[in-house]
Amino acid sequence: MSKKQAIKVENLKKSFGSGDAFVDVIQNANFTINKGELVALVAPSGAGKTTLLMMLGCVDKPNSGTIWLGDEKVYENAWLTKETRKIRREKIGFIFQAHYLIPFLNIIDNLTLLPQANRIKDSESKKKARELLKYFDIAEKENAMPSQLSGGQNQRVAIARALMNNPEIILADEPTAALDMNRSTDVVKMLKKIAIEQDVAIVMVTHDDRMLQYCDKIMKIENKGIVFE
Amino acid sequence: MIHLAKEDIRHTLGKFLVTAMGVGMLLGIVLIMMGVYRGMISDAEVLLEDLDVDLWIVQENTLGPFAEASRVHEDLKYTIKSLSAVDKSEAITFQNLQLPLADRKLAVLAIGYDIYGEINPINPERLIDGRVLKSDHYEIVVSDKTFYKIDDKIKLGRNSYKVVGITHGTVASGGDPLVYISLKDAQELQFTYTNKRIASDRQRGIINKDAHLVNAIIATTKPAYNVNEVAQDIRKWLHKSVYTRAQQKVVLTRNVVEKASKQIGLFTVILIAVATIIIALIIYTMTLEKMKEISIMKLIGLPNSIIIKMIVEETLLLGVLAFIFGNIFSHLIYSKFPKNVLLEIPDALLLFVIVVVASIFASFIGVKKVINADPTAAIGG
Repeated sequence: MSKKQAIKVENLKKSFGSGDAFVDVIQNANFTINKGELVALVAPSGAGKTTLLMMLGCVDKPNSGTIWLGDEKVYENAWLTKETRKIRREKIGFIFQAHYLIPFLNIIDNLTLLPQANRIKDSESKKKARELLKYFDIAEKENAMPSQLSGGQNQRVAIARALMNNPEIILADEPTAALDMNRSTDVVKMLKKIAIEQDVAIVMVTHDDRMLQYCDKIMKIENKGIVFE
Repeated sequence: MIHLAKEDIRHTLGKFLVTAMGVGMLLGIVLIMMGVYRGMISDAEVLLEDLDVDLWIVQENTLGPFAEASRVHEDLKYTIKSLSAVDKSEAITFQNLQLPLADRKLAVLAIGYDIYGEINPINPERLIDGRVLKSDHYEIVVSDKTFYKIDDKIKLGRNSYKVVGITHGTVASGGDPLVYISLKDAQELQFTYTNKRIASDRQRGIINKDAHLVNAIIATTKPAYNVNEVAQDIRKWLHKSVYTRAQQKVVLTRNVVEKASKQIGLFTVILIAVATIIIALIIYTMTLEKMKEISIMKLIGLPNSIIIKMIVEETLLLGVLAFIFGNIFSHLIYSKFPKNVLLEIPDALLLFVIVVVASIFASFIGVKKVINADPTAAIGG
């Protein structure tokens, strides 16, 4: 059975600055990532990992090229919609180096904030949030504040938040950077499980080679282009 | 539904309340300033209301004793009284005095009136102790703000006056308490000089001719007559300036307390501007403290409207809480002010509207920060 396409990129280019300050970051990137895949994005610091992630997340605007998210073409030399934030809200989940939960909201509110913006019923989003908290084994923490949870628990909540909008894609920027080896392994295994069970494409930026064994593909930025291992 | 502003405030409730209290004290001072102005206007009208007369006949080309020096002959009251339109007519004096207290002097405005006359400036409702004047000499009725008691003796000029009555709420336009003395005593105090001065004047050939001068003649008209027409008639043939009650009120509010009210108005405007700037700075700081969270919210796709709503609601709540604290603060301290402070509900409502509008303006700076927030700031690397 052929897998469904989650991300497709053609001839993507990105550069910054002009004149002496001109920097070419990505040149003619072409790749496809399918649903259910956990893809590691590896490159030296400053090579453009976060820039690529931000372009895939409809945050940073490429110079040219084409981007499909699922079946929807979202960029072709220009954003094809004015509401890139709506695309993020509905199609993409984000996980960061730190958990970056909203400190003044309790755990359940952190999870239901995004569905609320998507005009999903409160009862419905709370039900989904509780299911996810149970899935991540932190169901009893729903009324706790982020400051009352451990780093690992908060990171699990952050992953749960990324899943709240039933995303087609999860973009994870070094999600294990702040965790020890055991917890990092747990998180990556969890992402792998999520990718399969939720049929989500996950692009994970990592510097930790030990995590690569759990990934389906390893995507590298080399000579401003994308290569797969 | 998640209420971001409520949750954020609950997270830092103590800090938010203390901030609101601080701004509230500032707004309380704004309310006090408005109250001082209202008090000044109210004080200016006390005497006019107590006298309840229709006409003020004063020295020609002057605005009368409330605004500038005015001297007319006492017997003018008989001429005025002889007019068919006039019902009652009396002479009256106004004089600033310094009453001796134990450790200082107290500025008062002394009103001299004919105790046997038809118009008594002492409003019986304001008399809280003792009686009105019954003797032509050496009796005085004082405001309770002078701290004198019944039977106290007050040395004024050459003579000693016995306190026979205490009034409440009787003040002049400047806020000085009122005291009442007989017309004869008032004329003696105002126009009789010391023996040495009299001797000096006599050597110069000057004889004291001022003893029967007063500062104004006040009169009431008969019901069938038009006050403005009567005033116009007196102006024509008596070569005096004549003011109706309404005109005298204008003199008091426009000419006497206008500068003071402008000054208070300016202070009030400045205080409101300062309060707005402070609210804006507080909201700006509160927004800056949340920039990471705002970037995250923008990055994960929350629309600006939800974040802006949080900022605007927090600003409005800060303004409204500050307004409530300001009201409490002003009501706690207004009685401590030496001058009459009148806190009125319409002024409080006006300030509320101003605070709401100012808060909305103040929130713009935070909103601008939200709009310009870079979602990529949430991500390192």
